[in-house]
Amino acid sequence: MEHERIERQRKALKGRLAEEIRETLEGTEPGGEGSPKGMGYFYDVFRRWDEPAGLADGKPVIATSCMQVPLELILACDAVPLRLCNGSHALEQAGSAFLPVKACANVKATLGMISVFQERLQDRLALVVVPTTCDQKRKAIEAVAEGAFTVYPLAVPSSKDTEEAEVYWRTSVKKLALTLEKVTGKRITRKRLAAAVDHVRQASAQFRKLSRMQQHAPPLLTGKDMFLVMNAFLCDDVQRWTAAVARLNEELDDRKQRGRFAGEKAPRILLTGSPPLAPGLKVPLMLEAAGGVIVADEVCSCSRLLHDTVVSGEPRLYDLIPAIADRYLKPCTCPIFDSGEDRRRKLIESVHRLDVDGLVYQSYSGCLPYQMEQRQVAHALREADIPVLFVETDYSPEDRGQLTTRFEAFVESIRSRKRRR
Amino acid sequence: MKRFCGIDIGSSAVKVVLMDETGELVASSITPSGNQFYQSAADALTRLLEANGIPREEVSRTVSTGYGRKLFKQADESISEITANALGAKSLGTNGGIPVKTIINIGGQDSKVILLDDDGGVKDFGMNDKCAAGTGRFLEMTALNMGVTLAELGRWHGDSGKPPVTINSTCTVFAASEIVSLLADGHEKGEIIAGVHCAIARRVAHLAERTGVADRVLFDGGGALNRGLKSALEDELMREVVVPEIPQITTAMGAALYAREGF
Repeated sequence: MEHERIERQRKALKGRLAEEIRETLEGTEPGGEGSPKGMGYFYDVFRRWDEPAGLADGKPVIATSCMQVPLELILACDAVPLRLCNGSHALEQAGSAFLPVKACANVKATLGMISVFQERLQDRLALVVVPTTCDQKRKAIEAVAEGAFTVYPLAVPSSKDTEEAEVYWRTSVKKLALTLEKVTGKRITRKRLAAAVDHVRQASAQFRKLSRMQQHAPPLLTGKDMFLVMNAFLCDDVQRWTAAVARLNEELDDRKQRGRFAGEKAPRILLTGSPPLAPGLKVPLMLEAAGGVIVADEVCSCSRLLHDTVVSGEPRLYDLIPAIADRYLKPCTCPIFDSGEDRRRKLIESVHRLDVDGLVYQSYSGCLPYQMEQRQVAHALREADIPVLFVETDYSPEDRGQLTTRFEAFVESIRSRKRRR
Repeated sequence: MKRFCGIDIGSSAVKVVLMDETGELVASSITPSGNQFYQSAADALTRLLEANGIPREEVSRTVSTGYGRKLFKQADESISEITANALGAKSLGTNGGIPVKTIINIGGQDSKVILLDDDGGVKDFGMNDKCAAGTGRFLEMTALNMGVTLAELGRWHGDSGKPPVTINSTCTVFAASEIVSLLADGHEKGEIIAGVHCAIARRVAHLAERTGVADRVLFDGGGALNRGLKSALEDELMREVVVPEIPQITTAMGAALYAREGF
């Protein structure tokens, strides 16, 4: 009976996921000449979003609940990283059975992913790594995974500027490396780790190049395409992904020569706050449909994911692991850290450097840290005379009407402000 | 003679405004939206033209706004109700009228605070989140529970001579059950209705805290017809608010002005 029930639920969910993927693609994949040909690979990966190619290889799978898990270590063990955080409304609803009503949509969807794919992942999932970043994720995973999977809490300090925090985090990453070796049965050798670092570094280099295409005035790539590219990261082999981004960059370079831009004259927007995640991407899609173009972001699912690289001199094992740890802690501007000062500084600096017209700050209902930082961010931006729009939303489609009004009004107000200047 | 039309298709009512070339108001109407936005809007426009003997060809340009703006295909352009509301409010300030710096709009399913800059452009704005607390829906629900009409609510405000009761629920549905328990506890109609007005005013004041408030404050939208709500809002904001002659049509006026400007 139980098996039958789960099977039925799984089937219904698969249909709803396919629908969500189709809807997002409908908003991103334009017909005819519009989008670059190089986006084709990402549309295809996105189409199979619920069946990532990496899972087909038979390698051990390491699931992660947050981008704070050092990816290089997983790759060095020849394991497949699986992102549990997602933007699916169907998975959010599946996960809400385990959590209080007011919990964050992202956390609910993360739980939904674990519970729904439990059966499929049972034999393959070597470990679920849960960084102790936000309280909700930290507490929530236990509710479902306990008993079914091995959950590994990756201790993240709540401050990042002190020497103690650095030592704490480096130790934590070292321990994770040892655990990964144990569960995958693969030694992390100097050679393997250096290769993994190199692969991620190449991915990062291509990402940075692509960001410059998006930041170009006028932009060569829309924000929604950028989010699609970044959400495809880790859905396929890292090197295949990197090669596809490299091809896209070449094509965009060519388009630049021919003067083919995306979003000419549209107000330039910087998106920050809670991360837009596949397959939903509600806010980026609606914001660009309202006439803005996202030229940059400050979110963990996109720019924070690959912007920074591991900095190390000699690739010795004992230097590499702390260097990897540093890449994840110091540049991270997650609001769970005690101070949001560097985030505010980064936002204002980006607005000026990239000639941004306005900033959109989204926070998921239930994500208290982002909501708490709103006030200070608003104050800092108003002082700098930068228009800012706050939206609180989740994965459900019910507030689309209100969001459209807000985005259109924001875009209109920027346009009229520019006209008057 | 050229006319310009602004049509504001809101969740409760369709507002149509006709303007002449000088920006003078020629005619306006307010009709219920019903459940077929497009049809209601098209009918409202036709009726207004007929009633004033204006041939359709004289309407040079039509701009739609409001929740149903996208559905009205006859419009030449559509703009968001926030931009339209700001334009409408700005026009009230010309020719010795009220120079508006802040707009508080309470409509059928939205409440908004719009802060204007020195040129009358939108500087910042805040809107209620997806829930309907602090909007006209809340008033409709209250009227229904109290057995009075929507138009009578304002008259009951302070009627009992007692201070308003505190309504804590921020959700329209929960507030309904809170009202039922207050009635069961023997509270008078006037106290409860005043309590509802204060609850809405408090929520709007929270929105205003984020954007900031500057004098003069214009209170418009259907909610502004309720004088009890106006007085609660004044208490909550600790300043005087001004209600235009026909508070529901400011946004449609803004759309008509936009039609005229863009022509």
